[in-house]
Amino acid sequence: MIGVVVVSHSPALAHAAVDLALQMVPGEKPAIAIAAGAGEGLIGTDATAVSAAIDEVASPDGVLVIMDLGSAVMSAEMALDFRSSEAEVRLSSAPFVEGILAAVVTAAGGASLDDVDREARGALEPKISMLGDAPAPEAPVPEVTTSGATASGAETAPAGLSAELTIVNPDGLHARPAATLVSTLAGFDAKLTVVNTRSGTGPVAANSLIGLLSLGAKSGDVLTVAASGAQAAEALARVTELVTEGFGEV
Amino acid sequence: MAGGTVTIDQLVRWLSRFDALMAENRSYLTELDSAIGDADHGSNMARGMTAVMEKIGATPSTAVDELFKQVGMTLVTSVGGASGPLYGTFFLRFGSTAGPVAELDAGALAASLRAGLGGILARGKAELGDKTMFDAMSPAVDALDAEIAAGADIATATAGAAAAAVAGRDATEPLVARKGRASYLGDRSAGHLDPGATSTAFLFQALAEAVA
Repeated sequence: MIGVVVVSHSPALAHAAVDLALQMVPGEKPAIAIAAGAGEGLIGTDATAVSAAIDEVASPDGVLVIMDLGSAVMSAEMALDFRSSEAEVRLSSAPFVEGILAAVVTAAGGASLDDVDREARGALEPKISMLGDAPAPEAPVPEVTTSGATASGAETAPAGLSAELTIVNPDGLHARPAATLVSTLAGFDAKLTVVNTRSGTGPVAANSLIGLLSLGAKSGDVLTVAASGAQAAEALARVTELVTEGFGEV
Repeated sequence: MAGGTVTIDQLVRWLSRFDALMAENRSYLTELDSAIGDADHGSNMARGMTAVMEKIGATPSTAVDELFKQVGMTLVTSVGGASGPLYGTFFLRFGSTAGPVAELDAGALAASLRAGLGGILARGKAELGDKTMFDAMSPAVDALDAEIAAGADIATATAGAAAAAVAGRDATEPLVARKGRASYLGDRSAGHLDPGATSTAFLFQALAEAVA
């Protein structure tokens, strides 16, 4: 599992953002280290604290660093000169709150550094899509949409197993059930895609928190879930169970 | 003779003078920063240089590289804002270029300052006219090089550098910021001196006074 480093001017901001993200991860969590503040209650950042945080969570799978603004970015860059660990470190341009949430959830599912970074950087998409600032995003995990399907929405499920599942949660497929789905799928050797049949959004990768949130699935929406791979049937059965039971929320 | 040398004692005096200027101008720098930034440049720099003087007083160095490594790392850990990594990188590069020596001749001083400037550039990715400390430091280092190439001694060359830094600082006033937090203000950042360019002008004033 990759490690996550959170760099902020404000310790309060960093801790609150991490707490918000950890609410989404009931099971195993990635190692997270916070480097925030300039000591003695001062707002600011400290490159040596960032390098210590990187070394603290260094894992052979890599470390993703998410920063707030200004000197946080510069201190994180400088920390790369000071750190003693040799793990691959990626400084992510992800938005702070949404990015930390997406990174923590995706990392908890055992995703690679590349995948976690991409999810984190795409973390504003659901909000953009919900507010109508841009067309519904392309599926942010392109390698799983192998059948040439894009966000056209008119596509039906690709050949293989599929199921039509109705969202029963009153608040729809919001962040917490989406995170549950992502972490559940982490254990299966299968690739699943999801289309929202009401809005025509998708297909998106079912192991992408951001992809799932960009579906904008409300209560009563029908999702088409398609599965392929060695454990397609088992994975689809588990997803069916989760969705039908309202992800344990209802 | 052209050139001459700067001793490690004079370099410590440079830092000490810069510390004093940061303390004296703490409110002024913060006032400049409150116009276009987050109002902490004066307190950040004063705190950072106080920490530097404590550090180098507690563990004096006999080699220039060791001295400036302490200076750079202390600024990185104690300043808090972007000036920490920027001035920190400046002094770290200055020291590593100067090497384990007890004094610098004119050429070595120029090369060390040039390396420090390069560090600021690499760290901050600013260009001339972005309304940053680079706008004061770049002409200062150019002026020093030109003076030395023309055969001036170190006192004259650093005085020329200080004057060029002041001119560079003043030239930031009408500019619209393109880097740092001031850039969020867009056109409203025009009409104010850049705080970073202002502290950099003090840095070169301190150097000129220390070697005069």
